[in-house]
Amino acid sequence: MSAANALRSVRLGGVYTLLSLKATYRQPVVLFFIIAFPILFLIIFSSLLTFELDIPAEAQGTVPVVTFSQYFVAGIMASAIFGTSFNLLGISLAIQQYDGTLKQLAATPLPKTSFFIGQVGTALVYTVLQLAVMMILGVVAYGIDLPDAQGWLTMAWIILLGVPAGCVLGIAITAIIPSANAAPAVLQAPFVLLQFISGVFFTFSSMPTWLQWIAGLFPLRWIAQGLRSVFLPDAYKFAEPGMTWQLEMVAIVLAVWIVVGMSLAVFTFKWDRSS
Amino acid sequence: MDTAISMSGVAKRYGAVTALDGVDLEIAAGQVYALLGPNGAGKTTLIEILEGYRKRDAGEVSVLGFDPQRQRDALNRHVGIVLQSSTPMESLTPREMLDFTARLYDQPMNTDEALELVGLTEHANRRGSKLSGGQKRRMDLATSVIGNPDLIFLDEPTTGFDVTARRQAWDVVRGLTARGATVILTTHYLDEAEHLAQRIGLIKAGRIIFEGDITALRREMATDTRISWQPPPALDMSTLPEEWRSVRVGADGRLSLPTQTATQHLGRLIDWASSHGIGEIPELQVERPDLEEMYIEIVDDSAALEAAERP
Repeated sequence: MSAANALRSVRLGGVYTLLSLKATYRQPVVLFFIIAFPILFLIIFSSLLTFELDIPAEAQGTVPVVTFSQYFVAGIMASAIFGTSFNLLGISLAIQQYDGTLKQLAATPLPKTSFFIGQVGTALVYTVLQLAVMMILGVVAYGIDLPDAQGWLTMAWIILLGVPAGCVLGIAITAIIPSANAAPAVLQAPFVLLQFISGVFFTFSSMPTWLQWIAGLFPLRWIAQGLRSVFLPDAYKFAEPGMTWQLEMVAIVLAVWIVVGMSLAVFTFKWDRSS
Repeated sequence: MDTAISMSGVAKRYGAVTALDGVDLEIAAGQVYALLGPNGAGKTTLIEILEGYRKRDAGEVSVLGFDPQRQRDALNRHVGIVLQSSTPMESLTPREMLDFTARLYDQPMNTDEALELVGLTEHANRRGSKLSGGQKRRMDLATSVIGNPDLIFLDEPTTGFDVTARRQAWDVVRGLTARGATVILTTHYLDEAEHLAQRIGLIKAGRIIFEGDITALRREMATDTRISWQPPPALDMSTLPEEWRSVRVGADGRLSLPTQTATQHLGRLIDWASSHGIGEIPELQVERPDLEEMYIEIVDDSAALEAAERP
């Protein structure tokens, strides 16, 4: 691809992002669900589970006490990032592949790369919106401590790598969705399972090792761990696998997923699956 | 004259069904070409191969010098496409969609001009979900022309329209062609092809069985006179004059023979009747069918064929 073409693809990706955002913004119901779901999770779990995290005897007194909400906010944010990019995008694309919406779009000279950029751009905006609302709610209602400067920075790059990683996976998985009706089921199953084994609902290190291994193959577990480094006191890394936050691994795994997922997506993506 | 589209030996199968069976086609630039044929004849498969939506199994295709299967992105910048069914973005308005589409092309016309061309100016700010069927179709037409394309594909642009809406759509299409673009149109309405196209390709069971202008089509199809009659139920067919033994039998059992030497055949039939003691040939008719009738005959044939192929 020539430089001029690449530039055009990026520019049109931006134009398409704005169009998609406008379309969503006109549909209050969609907007509501995008933002409401993770927030409902946050409210329900934070209200149910009001205990403080266990601290091993040898670390007693040396690490600050932390509520479950403070731990859980990292997981639920990770879940929001992955849900919006992978789950929501996968379902909406599959529906549009079967109802002719994307076939129609493919009648225009919108390049495939611009279309992908548009999906990532849209998911990024939704995600930032979700996280902002959750953050405000967490601080106001559940006394969650905001990250420090370093933490904000970490969070920013995790979003910038995590959302595209989820998006390309969401695009790629549409290749195995047999009908529009099957889309929610096909997407929901891996998403729910991954949430359970990736340290969203339970402390990750309390999982059996083999489950940790499986979770380690997918982005969600790494996004969650990265965000824990943002929301938990540094001393809590003792509870992580390898007793560090493994931020380098978070970056590497997400980057690899972007490359692998993108190749899969480009290779298998179809504008129209209705015939 | 420049060639906009050329294809040779193009074939496409879906499982056991042959959709296209070795199609050769040349379409000159600046022409309105109608691909006419019944449902299931292969029109949409053919046009979708030209648009780059479908892969051919065999043959060569060149559209504006591009191979649609391999160079779809480059080709798309020069064509406008109206698909068989429209799926507008429900929450966006025609103006918003057209503004967006215009930005994808190098030298688009402006949105107002496109809206005007299809008569959608009044509804420019109405959401997609609130447009009527006819308005959605005009929206499709506007989308296909806003980029000032060299080539426009219209796949059954008026199917499902009432008479008035079709007339209006024809006016729109004429407006488009006045701008000098090549237009490929598929339709199963003979009158639509007659009103819009300079050249017509008749497609049946995956093959182009006729090509030419409407006058040639008329000549080709309507030169034959048709003799038909109703044979009595107990008739032994093998006693009939030779040319009647393998003719078309209608649903009601009627035999009909298309011919250019009607007088001669009629004489033989009358001789046969009197030598077999039939004084009056039942329901004898000698007629010259019009174009529409001949076309419907072809359509019926294919419909029967299609029904037979389906399990």
